[in-house]
Amino acid sequence: MKKRAPAVILLLLLIGGTLVLLLTPYDYTFQDRNAIMAPSSALHWTGTDELGRDRTVRVAAALFIGLTGATAAAAITTLIAASFGLLAAFSPRSIAAILMFLSDVFLSLPWLFLLMMVRSMLPLTASPLQTAVATFLVLAALGWPACARAIYRGAADLRSAEWMIQGYACGLKTRQLVRLHLVPHLRPLIFPQFLICVPAFIMAEANLGALGLGVGEPMPSWGGMLQELDNSALLAQSHWVYLPIVLLVVVLLIFESFVSEVDTNA
Amino acid sequence: MGLLMTIATRIGRLLFLLLFAAVGTILLVRFAPGFFSDPREMDAKYAQAVRSEAEAENHDQESIHLILNREFKSWLRGDFGESRQYHVPVAKLIGARVRVSAALLAKGILCGWLLAVCAALPVSSLRKYRTLWGLPFTIILAIPTAAMATACILAQVGGPVLVLSLLIAAREFKFLRSLLEGVWRSPHLLQGKAQGLTARALVRMHILPNVAPQLRTLTTLSIVTALGALVPIEVIFTVAGVGQLAWFAVMNRDLPVLVAISLLMGSVIGLAGMLSARAVNLEAA
Repeated sequence: MKKRAPAVILLLLLIGGTLVLLLTPYDYTFQDRNAIMAPSSALHWTGTDELGRDRTVRVAAALFIGLTGATAAAAITTLIAASFGLLAAFSPRSIAAILMFLSDVFLSLPWLFLLMMVRSMLPLTASPLQTAVATFLVLAALGWPACARAIYRGAADLRSAEWMIQGYACGLKTRQLVRLHLVPHLRPLIFPQFLICVPAFIMAEANLGALGLGVGEPMPSWGGMLQELDNSALLAQSHWVYLPIVLLVVVLLIFESFVSEVDTNA
Repeated sequence: MGLLMTIATRIGRLLFLLLFAAVGTILLVRFAPGFFSDPREMDAKYAQAVRSEAEAENHDQESIHLILNREFKSWLRGDFGESRQYHVPVAKLIGARVRVSAALLAKGILCGWLLAVCAALPVSSLRKYRTLWGLPFTIILAIPTAAMATACILAQVGGPVLVLSLLIAAREFKFLRSLLEGVWRSPHLLQGKAQGLTARALVRMHILPNVAPQLRTLTTLSIVTALGALVPIEVIFTVAGVGQLAWFAVMNRDLPVLVAISLLMGSVIGLAGMLSARAVNLEAA
């Protein structure tokens, strides 16, 4: 039960978020001009922001956007990393060296700096949905090198395993060996990489958003909502301003516990 | 001879990496939307024909081979070209800021490590409630750097050094604790305890010498972590360092500055990696 607690909390958060989005009569863009920076009330449970938008709805939407975006980006990055790592492991040594050198080029710069540079080079005047897609795609496109290195190392070790040699001797092709035998063996390595990427991407989006390079307004995101903390007038009026950061920390802690559990089991 | 060859190979690899990183930065910025923007295009006093001419002139001057040529020449001259936004040599612009950032990094890494070691040593020796004692660091790791910096400003507590130290401490604590937990359980340490050696003597004579190579590798990783956190910390605390300059350069498509900062950060990370690998090799020998 103790081990399931984080998953239960995450599930409760998702159910709560869904209920808020379904039952509230307005969406995250709706501005109540009579309730600018309003405190907690029956109409707006956690108050409103400086544009009169309901904070509960925006936080619930940010939860879904952040989780969906980060999970999709983590899946893409793990797929790229797995393909890259396997390609390098089953290529001649010279090609493997070139592929790993390519991953080193990406790793030679601090991740956030690289993210910031690539994200800012994309159009900033796009629609909110496009900026959200661009942000998470940038995360997916730049997050693979460290994962690829780990998968390459694991696949290179397995390549010389006895059962692989036996497979070759039995006439199996490399593609069949990889699909039927290697990938299932690499699953304990690939899945934690995916799990590590999800909180890392949520965190990166929050940092990018706080610097103004994340998901565009009015679409809510963790990073965008963190910018509210700069508004001291709003902070003085309501403590609900801290809700996004508290929820963000809870979500990240849940994913951290998932990663720890997988590590312990491994 | 073998050692010299290894060092030469590593330096060659590092130079190649830097070259690729710089060329990648140039291509990225060159094809970024808004790269050709010219202040004259926004100025109504210029006629449309003049503005179109300015745009065409920019396009001619900013072809890839011309940019690469100009950048390589500026590297050879050692001034790294002229900043597009400040109109001063990039080397001069970065020189002053490097000192500020280096001081911040040094203080942050030092304080972070002190905090991590002081916390990890006793916590790793505990038999119960290890997770509970490590909880503050786990929570710190779950807070985005930008949010932590903003919280410090709001609470008027600490500054950039505190945020960087906390970040480094939280990250290193995690690794140090698992490293030290293994060491505390090793048979020679149990034997030492049984013979009545004090905890201080055990740490000084047995634990620290045992984990020294891993600590060196972790220290180099701290540099990478700290460099990554430099941008949000310097931007939010308005520290006039390289991170803040990188932020302005990114927002203004300042190609020469971005290339210089990429080279600088790449060199620091590459050298840190080289030193850590070298240290591990020497230890193994």
